[in-house]
Amino acid sequence: MKHTEKELQALKDAVSQMWMLVMSQLEKSEQAFINNDMELAREVVSREKRVDAFELKIDSDCENYIALYAPVAIDLRLVLSLIKISITLERIGDFAEGIARHVIDADCATIEPEIMKELRCEDMFAILRSMLSDSFTAFYSEDTVLSGRILSKDDEIDHIYRRSIDVLAEYLADHTSLIRCGLKTMLLIRKLERIGDHCSNIVEEIVFYVDAKVLKHQG
Amino acid sequence: MIETKHIDFYYGAFHALKDVSIRIEPHTVTAFIGPSGCGKSTFLRLFNRMNDLIDGVRLTGECIVDGVNIYNKSVQVDDLRKKVGMVFQKPNPFPKSIFENVAYGLRVNDVQNKAFITQRVEESLKSAALWEEVKDKLKKSAFELSGGQQQRLCIARALAVSPSILLMDEPASALDPISTSKIEELIHVLKQEYTIVIVTHNMQQAARVSDRTGFFMLGELVEYSDTKKMFLNPEKVETQNYITGRFG
Ligand SMILES: Nc1ncnc2c1ncn2[C@@H]1O[C@H](COP(=O)(O)OP(=O)(O)OP(=O)(O)O)[C@@H](O)[C@H]1O
Ligand SMILES: [Mg+2]
Repeated sequence: MKHTEKELQALKDAVSQMWMLVMSQLEKSEQAFINNDMELAREVVSREKRVDAFELKIDSDCENYIALYAPVAIDLRLVLSLIKISITLERIGDFAEGIARHVIDADCATIEPEIMKELRCEDMFAILRSMLSDSFTAFYSEDTVLSGRILSKDDEIDHIYRRSIDVLAEYLADHTSLIRCGLKTMLLIRKLERIGDHCSNIVEEIVFYVDAKVLKHQG
Repeated sequence: MIETKHIDFYYGAFHALKDVSIRIEPHTVTAFIGPSGCGKSTFLRLFNRMNDLIDGVRLTGECIVDGVNIYNKSVQVDDLRKKVGMVFQKPNPFPKSIFENVAYGLRVNDVQNKAFITQRVEESLKSAALWEEVKDKLKKSAFELSGGQQQRLCIARALAVSPSILLMDEPASALDPISTSKIEELIHVLKQEYTIVIVTHNMQQAARVSDRTGFFMLGELVEYSDTKKMFLNPEKVETQNYITGRFG
């Protein structure tokens, strides 16, 4: 392997590591949420700094690569997509932290489990987990066959999100003492919905890198 | 406009260009890139019949400049070379003054009018972005200029006879970054008036100056497309390997 290829591989490896970290942050925030585990939630909050550090390092390494090697064609597309993917992963990391803080704030001790079930937060978590790991597989194997499947999962996320607004509104009309909890829960669901969007953006970047096609803003 | 149709070119038994067809629009810059020995210079030299000077060459296919097949018997090579100027890799000023270098093309074409010659020399030196640097020493020998200035002098010499097409074979390969960027700026300005075809080994230079890029390999035109597309998303894997440095 030529040294320029090794440098590129190192950039890719850093993004892979960041991806692993963000997947683990998301999974831990999910577990903390489901089990109301404060300890785990605090761990997620404290590890958020590591996600930020990855983003800064990848950003500056990519800048250096462009400045020194003036990449073109697939190499240029890769570096551009690595920059955008790492920015997007950092945002997903922020949302995982936000979910952990939601658990720590403990504003929803008295909400009924049935309504939480109806809001389908756990389903959203499961779908997001698979979107993030499928997109990692697509990135790592440079194969975009999974992209359609990942993007359609985001449609499902959007569907659950829209429905949750109705469910919550109806519930809160009869449970005004839980308004604060309801608002916080809505913010939580909104975060999950945004993670879905970010996963879709990542898929678009992978398609740009691998196939040189631009999917953005078409749907 | 330049157009070639199914050009095959041989040096003796050696098949140097294989079925090359291309269209070059007026007022554009076209860059040819490719590994050493792939036939870029050979192809460029076809456009002003510079290859005619070499023994044992053979050409089939058509090379059409402004609607005329320049290899027709009726075409006068001198007239063709007035229309299609050329600048080479190494600056090659004549052992004459700066003024006479630029005036050379006019004199061999029997232009007598002194005022006209003086005017053309000044215009050409200005177009070549050299006037300010030499206007006070036009009588000095061209050899007293730096390499970058000599190259711009050669460009001025080519421009003096008012060509419509300018061929450049690695015009900046022996120059420092400042002279290189002057030549590149010049190419950018000159394309308003001329059609420019440039051969370069510097990939970034091709990307910076050209509208269209042709990639040659082993005498074949592998890919020819908009420069932006070529450098972001080339069609052929050979092109990609070459421009990303994975060749060989
Ligand atoms: N006068 C000649 N006689 C015989 N063969 C020649 C002659 N000029 C060039 N060739 C051969 O034709 C092929 C193409 O040469 P050409 O000079 O066009 O290559 P090029 O792409 O310009 O290379 P470079 O980038 O090194 O300038 C080469 O294999 C070369 O050896
Ligand atoms: Mg050459």
